[in-house]
Amino acid sequence: MKPKSWHLNRREMLKGGGIALALPFLNGMSWAAPAKALPKRMLVSYFSYGAYMPNGGNGIPDPNKPHHDWSWWPCRDAGPLTFNQSAKPFEPLKDYVSYYCGLDHAGGWSLGGHSSGDVFATGADMVGRQKTNSISIDQVAANAHGHETRFASMVLGTEGGTGSYGRSKTLSHRGPGRPIPSMHKPQEIFNRLFNPYAGKGVEQVRAGLKREASILDLLMDQSRSLKGRLGHEDQGKVEEYLESIRALEQRVERTSKWTHEPLPEIDTKGLNLDASHKDPKEYIRCMYDLVYLAFQTDTTRFASLMLESENSSQSELWNYATYVLGYKGATHDIAHKRPVDYSGQWDRWRAEQHAYFLQRLKDTPEAGANMLDRTVVLWGSAHPHASHSTKNYPIHLAGGNRLGLKHGHLHSFEGDKKVPLANLFVSMLHAVDVPVKAFADSTGPLAEAQA
Amino acid sequence: MMGRLFVILFLWGCGLPLPAAPAGKAGFDSVVSVFFKANCVKCHGPEKAKGKVTLHNLDGDLAGGKMLERWELILDVLKAGEMPPEEEKSRPAKAEVAAVTQWIEAELRKAVAQAKEVSVAPQARRLTNFEYENTIRDLIGFRLKLTDNLPKDPEKPYHFNNTAEFMLLGPEQVDRYFENARKVMASAIVDSAKPEVHQARREWQPHGLDRGIGVDEVGVWGNRRHSPAHGMGLNSFPDTGEFVIRVQASAILPPGVKGAPLRLILGQTIQINSATQRVEPVGDAYVANNVDEPKVYEFRGRIENFPMERGRVVRGRQQPDSRVITPQVLYDDGTLNDGNRNLTMPRIVINWMEFEAPVVDVWPPEHHTRILFASPLREENPEAYVREVIRRFASRAFRRPASKAEVDRFAQIYKLVQPELKTMEAAMRETLAMVLISPQFLYHTVADGEVTARPYELASRLSYFLWGSMPDAELLKLAGEGRLEEPKVLDQQTRRLLADARAKDFVRNFTMQWLSLAKMKTVPINQQLFPRFLYYVSAGERRGTEQPYRPTIRDYMLDETAGFVAELIRRNAGAANVVESDFAWVNQPLAAHYGVPGVEGNHFRAVPLKPEHRLGGLLTHGSMLIGNGTGSAPHPIYRAVWLREAILGDHVAEPPADVPALTDTAGESAEKALTIKDLLAKHRRKESCNDCHARLDPWGIPFEHYNAIGKYQPLVPKEGARVSGFNLQTHGDLAGYAAYLKTVNTEKVEAAARVPNGPEVSGMPELKAYLLKHRGEDVAENILRRLLTYGLGRELTTRDRFAVDELLKQSAANEHRLLDMILTICQSPLFKGTAKE
Repeated sequence: MKPKSWHLNRREMLKGGGIALALPFLNGMSWAAPAKALPKRMLVSYFSYGAYMPNGGNGIPDPNKPHHDWSWWPCRDAGPLTFNQSAKPFEPLKDYVSYYCGLDHAGGWSLGGHSSGDVFATGADMVGRQKTNSISIDQVAANAHGHETRFASMVLGTEGGTGSYGRSKTLSHRGPGRPIPSMHKPQEIFNRLFNPYAGKGVEQVRAGLKREASILDLLMDQSRSLKGRLGHEDQGKVEEYLESIRALEQRVERTSKWTHEPLPEIDTKGLNLDASHKDPKEYIRCMYDLVYLAFQTDTTRFASLMLESENSSQSELWNYATYVLGYKGATHDIAHKRPVDYSGQWDRWRAEQHAYFLQRLKDTPEAGANMLDRTVVLWGSAHPHASHSTKNYPIHLAGGNRLGLKHGHLHSFEGDKKVPLANLFVSMLHAVDVPVKAFADSTGPLAEAQA
Repeated sequence: MMGRLFVILFLWGCGLPLPAAPAGKAGFDSVVSVFFKANCVKCHGPEKAKGKVTLHNLDGDLAGGKMLERWELILDVLKAGEMPPEEEKSRPAKAEVAAVTQWIEAELRKAVAQAKEVSVAPQARRLTNFEYENTIRDLIGFRLKLTDNLPKDPEKPYHFNNTAEFMLLGPEQVDRYFENARKVMASAIVDSAKPEVHQARREWQPHGLDRGIGVDEVGVWGNRRHSPAHGMGLNSFPDTGEFVIRVQASAILPPGVKGAPLRLILGQTIQINSATQRVEPVGDAYVANNVDEPKVYEFRGRIENFPMERGRVVRGRQQPDSRVITPQVLYDDGTLNDGNRNLTMPRIVINWMEFEAPVVDVWPPEHHTRILFASPLREENPEAYVREVIRRFASRAFRRPASKAEVDRFAQIYKLVQPELKTMEAAMRETLAMVLISPQFLYHTVADGEVTARPYELASRLSYFLWGSMPDAELLKLAGEGRLEEPKVLDQQTRRLLADARAKDFVRNFTMQWLSLAKMKTVPINQQLFPRFLYYVSAGERRGTEQPYRPTIRDYMLDETAGFVAELIRRNAGAANVVESDFAWVNQPLAAHYGVPGVEGNHFRAVPLKPEHRLGGLLTHGSMLIGNGTGSAPHPIYRAVWLREAILGDHVAEPPADVPALTDTAGESAEKALTIKDLLAKHRRKESCNDCHARLDPWGIPFEHYNAIGKYQPLVPKEGARVSGFNLQTHGDLAGYAAYLKTVNTEKVEAAARVPNGPEVSGMPELKAYLLKHRGEDVAENILRRLLTYGLGRELTTRDRFAVDELLKQSAANEHRLLDMILTICQSPLFKGTAKE
């Protein structure tokens, strides 16, 4: 790629320039937007504790049993989709969704009970070879194309923060030992995405950024001197800090660049940013709406959304099924007890929210097609029916029909047909123009997913 | 213990030498590996690896270091008699076990002595959000709410999160530190001109006592429109600064009640049908004066800590932002809210309220002049003044004197920003904000032999341990003089810190994590079975939801547990008190919940216990019982895990992947009454479950008398009976429902179980007696280890084993009294950082 004018070394300019020259210099760095190619987007979303599969608790529908009306799987046999009660919300989206049976991350196999959610988007071998988590699929895409939008990616969750080993509260990791904290407060997410200048004028923002860049330089020097004074074990910690400051420098550079692009107009009608966990439907839809708005305004193209995290006993997520269905127990208990009256209904509720999001994308026209045609949406969990099992995930892929994906089938990879879930990830990355050869333990792309 | 002693004496008596294994490899080959082969490898070997532990692949070389943890585990279970399991038919003789444990212990000691360092855990760890907010508070002199803007810190049950492993740092975190730092400095440094003072006042006309609840009154439940209970709106206030609210109030009290707790909350209005309004409490007062003697109560706070309602645009015009001050009466004596009983409850009359901000009695305020101190230097030599301001501030923020190089760098930043930001105040805000995102501020202070001398590390370790915050001037001064390490000084300082109000922060933070209490706040309480428990909203859209905007019994339960532990430390009570104590730490609402009579007022206090209260120690605390229940029923497995992890200090492995879920695990029982014991028996019939659960479940059974809301309940419905929830039509009122429950609760709760390697214990009193008699040392060791882990900010390893043993010995000499235990820890080489140099 030919270096653009703004790739001029900012630090060198600062040396010569100083504050008075801030504006001309920034103009000099101004970035001429290339003729915009149509965006290719991706969302990775996760629900916890598996799903109801009464005719095949290990995650594979039993061919000798009739299909259950409330199984998470829409139909029993591989082939064209038919929709049972649980999957009904996706019926209007028939040509836009696929189910994948028998896929999982080998890296998650030996993670205990509820911990395999950690590696859902990464496929890392946390117990064995790698010890820590590794880069997630959304960040691989963001590294490749994130510079094309105001934000490289957005990382959302419903509990916020990073969580800890085995109890992650985020799907996204920028590399080994580098979880990205998820944001979970709607108002805050909205402000950061769509009102990044907090009411300040662009000039003022630029001046502030200019100042910040110079300060960060000084701070960096100062922190480096610290490094030499600490013991061997602590080097990694100092590096963590230095990397963070470096990333901020890049952010400052990036933000300055984007001050030359107008902020998008946001239609906030129907957006309830005060939604709380006490009203799960409002809240979850609000999170989906925020992803939708970010995609629609091309604010970012890559997002992760941990709809539910595992080990949520310290959060209101624990009460979701109570608020939604009147279930008299913790939401997590549904996974263990699989009560007949609630299990299917709970999955159905989740499906309704997800279908709402997909439908919104589908209803938004874009370049002769619709937004869903150009958005790859992964939805799944790291457990089947047996919530302590870490094999045969429920996997649901939607959209991207114009990006080379094809839909309308249940695919089964049981027995000797088994392939890594990472193969699907490779195909997803290919769909959004990230020509990786491999991801985690993949053995190639997943031909079944591709048109 | 007696058993082993007996064996030893017996052998001694026969004149036989005690069989001892030779040291090193020889002993391993001749004794230890033979023992393993005979007794262990069947289940922990190449064929089976129960509990993921194998012994066949151990060699006799401990100093190699790789397997130290496993050796320690083996030593512990052998010593405790947990392995081989008691149901094993051919168990080794005690003397054989003793020979093995002695060999392991000796070899471990050698291995640890040979190891180079005490620990390989990194010492550089960032402040936790809790520590960060406290540190800023002590640095600038007032509390600012800052953690809301930071990514949530990780949490792990029964672990402290102040270790390097948990305290990662990423760009998102630093980004928020940036924002916070600027916010902090915007509040800490004011502009030189005296600001405009915003004032508001509202009055309520006297109503008289004879026409029901008045428009000048605040009741416990119902309130009239336009009464002070609906709050006083504000639409003019500064962005930052201290405010003062004055309220003239008096109380109308029913016979026998001495006073009523008044709370002010500030934020959005709560007079709408939503549970999502944001408010914060300003403060509490206890109103005991009657209407003939109204009194003025004063409340203070920082305006930026309180949420506000953004002004809407109405007919094209921007309305101002607003906040509402709402008074509440927090009186709760357990009376049920099932009818209009307002007039029989205390009411508070409010004549007027006034608001004023910012407080300008002294201008600029003290927190400003502490940074930009008054000095002729400012005019005479601005450059020197700037450097001095930076030096003073950074030296406090870094918890040790700032070096000249550091001052230079920040002075450079000042020079860089000053021309653009014009005033010294503005430029200094930006400069000092950068101090607050430096690693020297964000990371714990570690001695490096250059700019940070060891005493400063000790000062910080001490204050972050016992205050969760930065050292104060006295500690830093002692560190600077090199006197802090003197045993007498250190002892005196430890006591001083513990006596300070900030020690409450430590105890609460420590206790919440030690006992893993946070989840008790989110357990979904079955409101049909426990209709009174959560102070429900009785009407409107929010009907049946937990009363928002005021403390509930759950909140008080957390106060109870943290307060109880603080009181044990204050009294220097023995560790055994966590199992059984002769007092409870309660206030009126909580006492009413537990059924302890004679407690009045919302403040917590020690109440002497009688056996019929069935309280004492931590095991009967509602916080623990609710958190480890299902909201409908007790959960013996959760409670067993809690007892073993939090009290006995065992590590209970998480359920492994790929175990089949039991469709009828414990927990459903209250709706469709099923006895827990039968369910657990089922659990244990499966071998894969039984391996762990046989040693787990029995610990939870004796808790069965304590129900899902932490109350003693000796009778439950018959197996298979359906219990109907509260229904106003059928039951009339809550008393009627209580009468109905009495008719269905007919079966005695079974709470007897044989504890692993012990006798059968029935119910809480026997469980406590057993723990006190046989596990007292384990409980004490656990508390000591927890305190030490928290204080050091790292996990203890096998390498620390003998240092811990030493501390335990000293602690035992003081009967494991808790204050003494903390003093011992703070004097230890491990804590002082002098263990190995």
